[in-house]
Amino acid sequence: MTDTVADGNLLVATDVRKEFGGLIAVNDVSFTVPRERVISLIGPNGAGKTTFFNMLTGVYKPTAGSITFLGDDVTGKPPHAITAKGIGRTFQNIRLFQNMTALENVMVGMHTRMRANLFNSIVRTPFVRREEAAARARALELLQEVGLRRKAHAAAKNLPYGEQRKLEVARALATEPQLLLLDEPTAGMNPQESAEFTQFVGHHLRDERKLTVLMIEHDMRVVMGVSDRVSVLDYGEKIAEGSPREVQKNERVIEAYLGKAAVEDMKRQGLS
Amino acid sequence: MAADVSAPTLATRFKRPTFIGAVGGIFVVALIILLIKEATVSPSQFAQTTLIGLTNGAVYALIALGYTLVYGILELINFAHGDVFMLGGMFTITFGTHFFGLHHGQGVVTVPIVFATLLLAMLACGALNATIEFVAYRPLRGAPRLAPLITAIGVSFIIQDVGLAWKGPNYVTAPDVFPHSKVFSFRGVDYQWNHLIVVMITIPVLLALLWLVQKTRQGKAMRATAQDKDAAAIMGINVNRTISFTFVIAGALAGAAGTLYSLWATTVRFDQGFQLGLISFTAAVIGGIGNLPGAVLGAVTIGLIQSWNEGLPWHMPGSDWTQSIVFSILILILVFRPEGLLGEKTPEGG
Amino acid sequence: MEHTEAVDLQSRLSARWKELPEIQRTGTKIVLALVLAALLLFVDKALGFGVATVAAVYWLYRLPPLPWRLAAQAVLVLLFLVLGPASFGILLAGAFAVFWVPERRRSWVVPAVAVGAAIFYPFYQGHMFTIPVFGAWPDVATGVVMLVFVMMAIGLNIVVGYAGLLDLGYVAFYATGAYTAAFFTSQQFAGQRCPTPGVSVANCSVAVVPKHNFDFGAVGVVPGAGGIHISVWLLLLLAGVITAFFGIVIGLPTLRLRGDYLAIVTLGFGEILPQIARNGDNLFGTGVNLTNGPNGITPLDSMGFGNRISDATGGVLPSNFLTCCKASHFGHQIQSTDIFFWVAIVLLLLTVFCSFRLQYSRLGRAWIAIREDETAAAAMGIPLMRTKTWAYASGAFFGGVAGAYYAVFRSATFPGDFFFNISVFILCMVILGGMGNIWGVIVGAAFLAYLDREGLANTGAWLNTNLSATSFNLLVAGIFLAVLVWLLTRQREQVMRYVLVGLIVIDLVVFAGLRIIHLPIEVPLYASGIYGLIILIVMLLRPEGLIPSRRRAAELHEGVHDEPLYDLAHAGAEG
Repeated sequence: MTDTVADGNLLVATDVRKEFGGLIAVNDVSFTVPRERVISLIGPNGAGKTTFFNMLTGVYKPTAGSITFLGDDVTGKPPHAITAKGIGRTFQNIRLFQNMTALENVMVGMHTRMRANLFNSIVRTPFVRREEAAARARALELLQEVGLRRKAHAAAKNLPYGEQRKLEVARALATEPQLLLLDEPTAGMNPQESAEFTQFVGHHLRDERKLTVLMIEHDMRVVMGVSDRVSVLDYGEKIAEGSPREVQKNERVIEAYLGKAAVEDMKRQGLS
Repeated sequence: MAADVSAPTLATRFKRPTFIGAVGGIFVVALIILLIKEATVSPSQFAQTTLIGLTNGAVYALIALGYTLVYGILELINFAHGDVFMLGGMFTITFGTHFFGLHHGQGVVTVPIVFATLLLAMLACGALNATIEFVAYRPLRGAPRLAPLITAIGVSFIIQDVGLAWKGPNYVTAPDVFPHSKVFSFRGVDYQWNHLIVVMITIPVLLALLWLVQKTRQGKAMRATAQDKDAAAIMGINVNRTISFTFVIAGALAGAAGTLYSLWATTVRFDQGFQLGLISFTAAVIGGIGNLPGAVLGAVTIGLIQSWNEGLPWHMPGSDWTQSIVFSILILILVFRPEGLLGEKTPEGG
Repeated sequence: MEHTEAVDLQSRLSARWKELPEIQRTGTKIVLALVLAALLLFVDKALGFGVATVAAVYWLYRLPPLPWRLAAQAVLVLLFLVLGPASFGILLAGAFAVFWVPERRRSWVVPAVAVGAAIFYPFYQGHMFTIPVFGAWPDVATGVVMLVFVMMAIGLNIVVGYAGLLDLGYVAFYATGAYTAAFFTSQQFAGQRCPTPGVSVANCSVAVVPKHNFDFGAVGVVPGAGGIHISVWLLLLLAGVITAFFGIVIGLPTLRLRGDYLAIVTLGFGEILPQIARNGDNLFGTGVNLTNGPNGITPLDSMGFGNRISDATGGVLPSNFLTCCKASHFGHQIQSTDIFFWVAIVLLLLTVFCSFRLQYSRLGRAWIAIREDETAAAAMGIPLMRTKTWAYASGAFFGGVAGAYYAVFRSATFPGDFFFNISVFILCMVILGGMGNIWGVIVGAAFLAYLDREGLANTGAWLNTNLSATSFNLLVAGIFLAVLVWLLTRQREQVMRYVLVGLIVIDLVVFAGLRIIHLPIEVPLYASGIYGLIILIVMLLRPEGLIPSRRRAAELHEGVHDEPLYDLAHAGAEG
């Protein structure tokens, strides 16, 4: 593992920009993700958050700017290479392999960390046999971590919504990431599930597993409950960044979400 | 939208040409030089092959438009389209000779008969195409995208063998009713009327199609459905009927092409559809699949290339290699510029 | 409302049907089956008995196993042993025995029995009963062809069934394999020179002799005959490798295209290659004779184990397949075709083995993931291009080996053997059998290959002798009526119903009135149309094929995330 930048940042995005024809979706955003922290990326719909994610994970090529991960430049690299480097992700609309079982989904996540190729797979050398057995065991462990061990052999499409989200996390964890990108992980969850998930991210992923998490979220309870830092995007630009408390009170943020009138209201009522 | 978006720094319009673009450009320049050489070596032959190429191109344009219309609206390559064209030729022979008693040397009477045959063939092929969509493609609307494509191949084979059963495995002659007298002469080579007639009939058909797509309500429905099926449905457009209508139009175009081709080339065979269909599909892709003017441009291009390859005397690969050349062009376009010459799907049709 | 009436009728009928007690329903079905069998007796005795037997076996399996089912099975077998063709009785007995094996064991017992039956096929082929409609059992030479095509189908299955890449140009791999065989086991590259030193070929006063000669382990070749001659065993491997390499070369620029464009591009390659073969006797006017043009390359060296192995095994493994075999077992004189047949079985088993191992490996999982959702697969670290290329290369490898073996078997390869319809033919095998499922593909491929070689001709002969013109027209009219009724009761769109009714009526008039279809019909002529019809019917009614893989059945009925990563990356902003 190469040394990161001196200030301990895992990921450094500098002046990243994405244009689609004449539309600027992400406008020269600079962003750092420090180690072992939970960073939340929030902002109104259409702010460019998922586009930004997609650039971090290689689905989109940035029009300009650079992205460095663990000291290596990953700008515009293909998705599988970025995953191999150590960035894992989940998707906004669940993209599980619906007709595979939960176990198989997680085992696919392990693809980068396995070495079996076409030839030794056909012959099934002892190495391959060991690797498969180990992968299977590890996959079951991961399912256990997210609480899906009993449903290991259920088809992904047959799982209830909340469990599908958990399976996506397990699958992302199977890629053995150092940085985990979660795109609206609690969308569609009820308050109890969201609370459990918040615990899971803060306590298990960050504190126990020592992972770094970058999360797009709309649920403010989750954001405020677990984030070490919050960044706010609006119309493709970063308009605020800081601790959850700071961002909550930031005028521009309130204006972005609730409009100018709301800001005036709040000022008049002396809340600032 | 915020102020930022309206005042973007539009990146300089001029982009440095890519490597591929440069290679392509050099290739095109080389081709042009070659053509100039041909033109100077034997100008009359060059003229003749060019005109024949245009005539071919007209026929290909009619077929290519059918491909492009269907692709625009369903994102489906209708493999069976070329074979509908083939049946159009067979309909022409049957309607023309058996119903109307069309034969060589009838004089002025030929004209209304040919038009009647043309219309009937267009109707028959339109109905046939719509039936194919209804039976084979509609049930597979929700299936993975490759499913209707595979089915289309099956339908193509079925239609080919229908043609085989109908008129047998050999070439069938169509009545030679187009006049062969010359329109004009250039350095000893004649441009005959039968070539010109094909182009003359094609142009109004193309214009009619353009009018249909741009100016009529049904055309607007087609364009809307092509852009976004669900949104169109919400707007009250009967998507199923629009799709059927598109297939009818595409079929009619194929039928028209079939009539013109059979009367011009005077031969029809059950496997013509496959060959000419693929050439026309290449034309559609060259122009940018989904793009109507592109299809015409592509068809003319391919028609010219084919004719030059087969007709010019100086160092041309020859008719043995026509198919390979066409396919190579197709492959190159799909790999290096899949949006075609005129750009990605513009279902607006213009 | 009119359209609901028809629907109502159907639902009322089916409601009434469901209300009947089980016994009455079963009884009705049995009676209907018997009536059908009796009717068919008038057309062809064997067919009538065949339908009755199938119905009997079907109902037999509704009985409780002991003692009724066992007794019924025994009775049925005895009936055939005594009255009908004894070989059919034996076949029935064998089938019944296999299905008494408990479920878990059956999964390997059935393939084992099938392989055993295949190995002994040359011995009992001549003694088998006549199949109704299809006639005699295929002879061993047809068997070799069937095995070759099954190999190709399994190769295509890796590309289409596992990785989900629609390849319409598989014939290019077949051709590459065949021509590799031709290049390396024939006199194609012999060249010419004059034995008199310093004299050119044109001025040679004595007979010219070959210029190049390379022998390596070839069997049955006159030394110095000219050309390249390597051992056919090596050649098979070489053909596979060269074809795989060719597949990689084709795949590199094209595999990032989305599904339908990839299909067209592969189709293009499938057309270009045969054209190169056809025009290869004077490549681009340079005078180079690469493929000997339309005349093809023939003869090719024969296959064999060579003298050393042959002596070591006392002649059991023949040194040269074509000049072998004086032995005779079980009353059957072993022939060279039989040896080719057995070697083909071995090759096929190797292919199946590799295919199985790939399916349940890391690579196989990656293929399924790509097929389901490319974007997610890439996000999980699967390198799309590389993985797809491996699928392509594997499929190409087996296609090449199969093509090479077939060429050696026929001792020839002609450009006329390779054309687009073959790619679709092999695709039809995979679709009919069940995309992704090896057993299904084997069954589908074997059946279609048999149809192509013998089945269609036999069926045609049967059709022409057993059906008079009247009965045939009635049969066609009956089919149309059945389709009409079905369409009517399922139709919800009034206008289309009328259009369809109109078209079908026109058809009836045409067939019945104008007698356009009149016997004799040359069925093999319409092979392509029949395969197209099979594709159509399978895709509409049972897209997962005869023996489906459960996963594929689910995908086809429920859909997958179809948009390729390339499109996603070029789509508009998602926000």
